[in-house]
Formats: sequence, C-alpha cells, structure tokens
Amino acid sequence: MRKLPLSLTINGETHELLAEPHHPLLEVLRTQLGLIGTKENCLEGECGVCTVLLDGMAVNSCLLLAAQCQGRRIVTIEGLGGPETLHPLQETFVEHGAVQCGYCIPGMILAAKAYLDQNPEPTEGEIREALSGNLCRCTGYQKILDAVLAAAGVLAPMR
Amino acid sequence: MSFEYHEPPSVSEAVALAARFGSEARFLAGGTDLIVQINRGKLAPRHVVSLHRVPGLDTIAVDGHVTLGALVTHRALERSPHFQGRYRGLVEGAQVVGGHQVRNVGTVGGNIVNASPAADVVPVLLALDAAVTCLGPEGERTLPLEEFLVGPGQTQRRPEELLTTVRFPLLGPNSATAFLKAGRRKAMEISVVCVAARMTLDAGLERCREARIALGAVAPTTLRARAAEHVLEGEVPRAELLRRAGALAARACQPISDVRASSQFRRLLVETLVPRVLARCLERIREEGR
Repeated sequence: MRKLPLSLTINGETHELLAEPHHPLLEVLRTQLGLIGTKENCLEGECGVCTVLLDGMAVNSCLLLAAQCQGRRIVTIEGLGGPETLHPLQETFVEHGAVQCGYCIPGMILAAKAYLDQNPEPTEGEIREALSGNLCRCTGYQKILDAVLAAAGVLAPMR
Repeated sequence: MSFEYHEPPSVSEAVALAARFGSEARFLAGGTDLIVQINRGKLAPRHVVSLHRVPGLDTIAVDGHVTLGALVTHRALERSPHFQGRYRGLVEGAQVVGGHQVRNVGTVGGNIVNASPAADVVPVLLALDAAVTCLGPEGERTLPLEEFLVGPGQTQRRPEELLTTVRFPLLGPNSATAFLKAGRRKAMEISVVCVAARMTLDAGLERCREARIALGAVAPTTLRARAAEHVLEGEVPRAELLRRAGALAARACQPISDVRASSQFRRLLVETLVPRVLARCLERIREEGR
C-alpha cells in the first residue's frame, strides 16, 4: 500500500512525514520522530502506557491511526516539561517517589493531566477512577495517587 | 496486513465507498475494537473507511425521542446532562467500558456493531426499546436493536450499510433505568454478567406499569428476559416478586462456561443482580417522586 503524506502537530510543532496507513500514532512517534517517552506494551488499549493527549483528551496511541490525527493537537510526555522545566505533576511524582521502574509513568502523568484539566479538585476516589486505564506492574499505585493529589493542590490555585 | 485508508467528508460518500468495496471495507469509528482485531490478525480489511471527518454523527438530540449519532462516545454519554436522571442506566453502562482512554474515543455505534454479547451499553439500550437506523445505497432502514443483533460479532448490518443513529422513546414520569455489572475486578474488565432494567410505575407509585430487563454476557446476543418482565407488569413490585423475576431471568439465559466464570455461576449472578437492578429502579422512581 502506498504511504500517506501526513502533517501532524505534536507538542506545538508541525511535522511533515510519510506513514503507512495502518501505522498507529504510537509507531510514528517512536520510530519516525524519536519521541520514545511514549511507551509500547499491550497494543490493545488495556494498559495505558502509550497514553498521549489528543485535543486535550487522554487516548491510547496504539489504537489511533496516525492518519486520523491530522489537524488535531497531540501532546506527548516530551511536550509536558523538560528536565529544567518540570510540570507540577512531574515534580510531585519525583517528590513522592511515585516512580519505580518508570515504564507506566508517562501514561500515568498524561492521564492525570487530562483529568486534572477537567476536574481541578478531585477526590482520591475520582483520581483512582481516572487512572483505571493505566496499569503499573510495580504496583506503585498509592504513591502515584499521592503525587496526583499533591499536584492537584499545586495546580488548582494556579487556574 | 496493510490497507488503503479513506476519510470521506460525508455520510453519503462513506456509504458510496462501502458500496464500492463491500466486505473488503470496514468503517473505523473509535478504533478500540477494530484496530485491536486488525493488530491480532483477526480481521484484514483491504479498505478502512474512517468516519471522523463525517459531520453530524456525534450528536445527542432530545426531542420527541432521544437520538444518538453512531459516533457519540461513551464519554459523551456519561457527561450528557440529559442522562443523569431517568436515563441514569445509560451513564452507568457507559462508565464501566474500559478506562478513560477507551471511553474518550469508543463509540455507541461501534459498541453495537461490534456485537459483543458482553457489551455494556447495549443492554441499557435494549431496556430503552432502542431502534437502529442503517443507511445504504438504497436508502435508510430502521429496525429494533433486538432484531439487529444476530450473534457474537454478527448483526443485520450489510457490508455496504452504515449504522447512523440509535433512537429510543422518551421516558415518561415515574420511570427509571439502572445498570449493574459483575466482573472479576472493579475497572477495565469485560463483564462476566451485566444487567439493565427500566421500570415505569403507575401514578400512585404502587404497581409496575411496564418493565424491561436485559441481560449481557449470558447468551450469544444481549437478551431480553421477557418472562421476568411479564411477571412484574400490573403487579406491586415487592421484594418477593423481584426475586421471582430474578429466578425467571436466570432460567431465560443460556450462559457459557469460560475463563471468566462457569455457566452455573453466571446464572446465579443473573438471579442475584436482576432483583438488585430492579430495586435500584424503584428507589430512583421514588426519589424522583419525592
């Protein structure tokens, strides 16, 4: 099949590229654009490690064709903050020791970001529910929850 | 395994593509089932027709009826102000489908066409007497959702037809819906059994005027438990009668045994969940009446 010319807006930057029609966004991010912060695992929407933001919503980039993303805003973990400019969620994850092996963390942080943008003052139960599409094999859920709650405390007054 | 990708800008062009390619084409909505099946090699369509540029399919309209466009997402159902009261069962069904990432993109139309016997929104739609409308090259046809569902993964949709809308009548006063699901864990779980109910009481809030009970994951398709509905209608829905409806519903289903649960356990779940989901409808009606 012929490749598709795509124009994708990722972390505020526009990329012109050629992609296979069946390639999910995840594949294009990791192999064509070198944005390897977005992780690959189950490829069936169960684990959430490939979570990115699409027009501000959390989505699984393994189930989204790159071709469907034209004209939409994509944010990956690289777009949230760098080593010198951590996002408050990244800061609280560090402070609370919420990162063990780290593989699930980009997805956790982006799912949390999408949720806090809609509900700046969530309860603990609401955060658990919001992160139910993200698995952590280290089972570090409690500290992840603590970090998201702390980030909500930092972010809410800034809104 | 690759395919040709199409992005028609209108419903008529989407249908024209489907008519041209027939069973070699698949419509792509949220992709949470289709892309998984393509990745697993279960499906290998030569043409994928994405619907995301087709306008108007993602609207929820409430006039004489409730009409859901096929591309209404689970998230949109959960959040719709229309469904927080009498239609609450719809919200309850939508909010147990996958995690936020899946519900943000997964659609009602996809949930129906995928025809999983364990679909969570479908039993609620059956309890609401929903009908689906398909558009093909020869025009539109509307049929009851119950008839539309044929078996696991099978519907009456022809390859060249697009399911465009799902529609159900407005609920009058003294009505409520509810949905309950049993899974092995609380989140991200395929239903072991799910049940939906709708109940309408008479003006005095005493007798049941109309009842609907729909069961998921206990038969090749989502199923109405008619005998259980009939035993309720015209009667005072006391706890004892709700239990009888549960027993009749358990008799009506034909569950399989699989990795999630045995057939016997599924029947027990139906027997337990049906009285509970009916009781929840009654509570809701009485709360609204207060």
